[in-house]
Amino acid sequence: MSATTADARRGSAARAERLGRALRLWVTAGPGLTWIVLFLVLPSAILLGIGFFTSGSYGGPELPLTLQPLREVAGYSILGWSSGNITVLVRSLIQAMSAGVLTVLFAYPVVFYIVTRPPAARPLLLLFIVLPSWTNQVVRTYAWMELLGPESALSHLVQSLGLLQPHLGLFPGVLAMQIGLTYNYLPYMVVPLYAAAEKLDWALVEAGRDLYASGPRLFWNTVFPQTLPGLLSGIILVVIPAFGDYVVPTLLGGGKSMMIGSLIASQFLETPNWPYGAALTIFMLVFTCAGLLAFRVLSKRLGGAEESMM
Amino acid sequence: MDYCAGTPWRRANVINGGLRLMAGPVVSAAMKPHDAASEPAVADRRGQIVLEDISRVFAADVVAVDRINLVIHPGEFFTLLGPSGCGKTTLLRMIAGFETPDSGRILVSGREMQAVPAHRRPVNTVFQSYALFPHLTVAENIAFGLRMRGVAKAERRERTRRIMELLQIDAFANRNPAQLSGGQRQRVALARALVNEPEVVLLDEPLSALDAKLRAELQVELMRMQKRLGMTFIFVTHDQHEALVMSDRIGVMQRGRLLQVGPVLDVYERPSSVFVAEFLGLSNIWPVTALPGGLIDTPLGPLAIGNPDPASGTAMIRPEKIWMYSESGAPTGRPNMVAGVVREAIYMGASTQYRVELENGAPLLVYDTNNQAAERSWRPGEAVTCELKPENIVLIGS
Amino acid sequence: MAISMGKSTRRSLLAMSLPVYLLLYAPLLLIAIFSFAPPPLAKGQTFYWYADLLHSPEVIAAFRRSLTLAIGSSILGTALGTLMGFGLYRYRDRNATGIASALPSLIIYTPIIMPSLVFGISELIFFSFIHSATGFLAAGLLTMGIAHVTFEAPFVALVVFARLSGLDPNMFEASHDLYADARQSFLHLTVPVIRPAIIGGFLLAFTLSIDDFTISFFTAGPGSTTLPIYIYSAVARKGVSPDINALATLMIATVIGTGLLQYMFTRNRARKLVARPGD
Repeated sequence: MSATTADARRGSAARAERLGRALRLWVTAGPGLTWIVLFLVLPSAILLGIGFFTSGSYGGPELPLTLQPLREVAGYSILGWSSGNITVLVRSLIQAMSAGVLTVLFAYPVVFYIVTRPPAARPLLLLFIVLPSWTNQVVRTYAWMELLGPESALSHLVQSLGLLQPHLGLFPGVLAMQIGLTYNYLPYMVVPLYAAAEKLDWALVEAGRDLYASGPRLFWNTVFPQTLPGLLSGIILVVIPAFGDYVVPTLLGGGKSMMIGSLIASQFLETPNWPYGAALTIFMLVFTCAGLLAFRVLSKRLGGAEESMM
Repeated sequence: MDYCAGTPWRRANVINGGLRLMAGPVVSAAMKPHDAASEPAVADRRGQIVLEDISRVFAADVVAVDRINLVIHPGEFFTLLGPSGCGKTTLLRMIAGFETPDSGRILVSGREMQAVPAHRRPVNTVFQSYALFPHLTVAENIAFGLRMRGVAKAERRERTRRIMELLQIDAFANRNPAQLSGGQRQRVALARALVNEPEVVLLDEPLSALDAKLRAELQVELMRMQKRLGMTFIFVTHDQHEALVMSDRIGVMQRGRLLQVGPVLDVYERPSSVFVAEFLGLSNIWPVTALPGGLIDTPLGPLAIGNPDPASGTAMIRPEKIWMYSESGAPTGRPNMVAGVVREAIYMGASTQYRVELENGAPLLVYDTNNQAAERSWRPGEAVTCELKPENIVLIGS
Repeated sequence: MAISMGKSTRRSLLAMSLPVYLLLYAPLLLIAIFSFAPPPLAKGQTFYWYADLLHSPEVIAAFRRSLTLAIGSSILGTALGTLMGFGLYRYRDRNATGIASALPSLIIYTPIIMPSLVFGISELIFFSFIHSATGFLAAGLLTMGIAHVTFEAPFVALVVFARLSGLDPNMFEASHDLYADARQSFLHLTVPVIRPAIIGGFLLAFTLSIDDFTISFFTAGPGSTTLPIYIYSAVARKGVSPDINALATLMIATVIGTGLLQYMFTRNRARKLVARPGD
């Protein structure tokens, strides 16, 4: 078949078909997609754009375009360099990552407890872990305000140990934030980990019994690698939202120990400084994306290593 | 067989398709070219399929169907046979209307249909995966096509009942397809197609998901049903045995081309190419050169052949056509008697497959019916004589 | 699944898991306990604060607003999401490569992966720009509704898409083969088949809306307080208080009750649908 006839044959019918398909796609999915673009993609772009404007008299964005807000994020202001923002950023990172670690520590025993129960009991046991996450975030965080307030038993205990001034509670504070984050995000670690644990190949564990004498080593070498995919999903589901959380730092952190979420929000609510807030948001998003990417690279390498461990 | 040259339908198709999408139904109805589907079938051609120069190329220059010309007669059981990826399913889908050919014409019962959308063709399909509607009962599934065409409720019920009785699934009328076994679902899929009394029924490997015994039963049943109902059946499969059992005529396809079309017997006994010969069953195939005196030179030595003036090329003899005798019991005075030793005997119940090694080392595959007591059949190591009757040696492509 | 475990392992797992379960519910339980605290100048456990709730016009108003917002936005969100999920499944060009074909999926995933804070703030500035430019879309229930629809629709689309993906792709061709045109196919095949997904999607959207705080907070205006916002404002101002305890207890009880009900309901339905291959 010569090239020209081939071109003639391929083509008009197929192209008409494809055109028809594309048209029908845009008729059905079009309204929803347009809505999302108009009411989310566009606003987000505007937000990010504002980060390059000057802060006007009421905090709104004004020309000229400038990099000043971004510099402010790094800590540079009329008073010279300050480390306040860096502190907030680092604190948010540490809080998020340690929340990740804590949820992992809590989730593993629970997951393996559930997985070793008879199949009929498992959905119910899992449901009980997940139910608290269905309550409202504000309510959940409020519960810990109750528990950690100055009048609470826990606070009294810590006061009597001399670690706290009297009349002060564990909240607001850094510890309270950590507890709040871990509590809020525990179910998001349990679910993916459980999904991975359910598919566990126990035959491999049995085979490993010959190789690894002790329980812990057996676990680490045969069971743990198989749960890696779930663990990695869980970490993403916990650390990323925890990093940018707003409710927990605002309610449990108080004014002195801010996280980046509450810092950003205050630029739009209390003392408006939109460009600065937008610049902070850019920073936060860049950090989040970088973290995600680094994580994917790491998890791919770990995922490959998983096979060689067996 | 004489067709008129391909008409310039392509442009019309694109314009028509575009109009139907963008213009309202009123405009397109006013401008609709003469719609073939609403014509009555040409009288004696009801159920005839004509494919004229049909081609289909997918993206990345994959030629799925390459200039196929084919006529399928009304009321016949026609099988498209070929390996996976040969284009047989694509061809079937083009007849059904799920794909549009890039060129060529499709005529159903004498009417041009390549531009007619699937839901207006008088053709019904039985899918490989059955594609039963999960939210409807068996009876509702079957009646779906009638309902879409506006057939009255009473008539729907009657026709559904009759076809369910015919296919012995009336006990499941109110069940949901999820509750049926594979074989039962297949019957429902068949009933759903047949109840509409289409001019042509298309079957896309409908038996491939069933176990061997059920498959064999349904093959015979399908064949009998087709004869009884008199509809044209176009069957697609990669299983040559299935094709042989059920079909009136076979079309063997490879890489988008039709290699050979004809009655089952013809295609099996006189294949037009090595591929066809090997696809339809086992065979002994050799390249041969012509010798004077109606002989051909083969790896087995010179053999007589039925044709007095043979050409060089490739020759074939089917294993079941070779007669085997014990060394001492062979008849004399006959042509093409070759001596050898049995190297391998594979017992298959009704027959045994032997691999015989001739004196000069050439191999020969022989099928023999086990019509004697087991002790009398040949064992590895035994010396035998094989007779290749000249009329059973076929020159491929002649 | 044969897992041979030592008894000590089994026991230590239980020992480690039990505290987690307890810790998960202890705070919630505590709120419930404190909600029965006596009002000032009285003694003993009472239902005082619950009664107070029912008479508080602000709480009732906030509750009604949450409900209205949820129902309204879910209807639109489900409609848009269903069409998106269906369109993407049915008309996606599987052979196409490049940005254009990945774009719809990217757009649909954006609301899902975007942090709620960024989401909320984006809406805040967007609506305030529109308001100052045109006078329309003052911050209020309407702006909240728009934001809610935006984050609900993708979830519904995913649910519908997932349901469709589990079906035999030949089914749509089968309906065309059986003389149904595009409209009839949609009405008689697509809609009935995805109806469970539409309902599930609607419930999901409803839940997401009722539960949302961050996005609602940033798009709310004066007088458009929903229940989570009401609690937050009260808590941020006054801190812990018994009337909030009562409200919170009610919300917790509702969630737990609904969760258990749904669990029992799906368990029953699963039992009834067990297939019986025929005779």
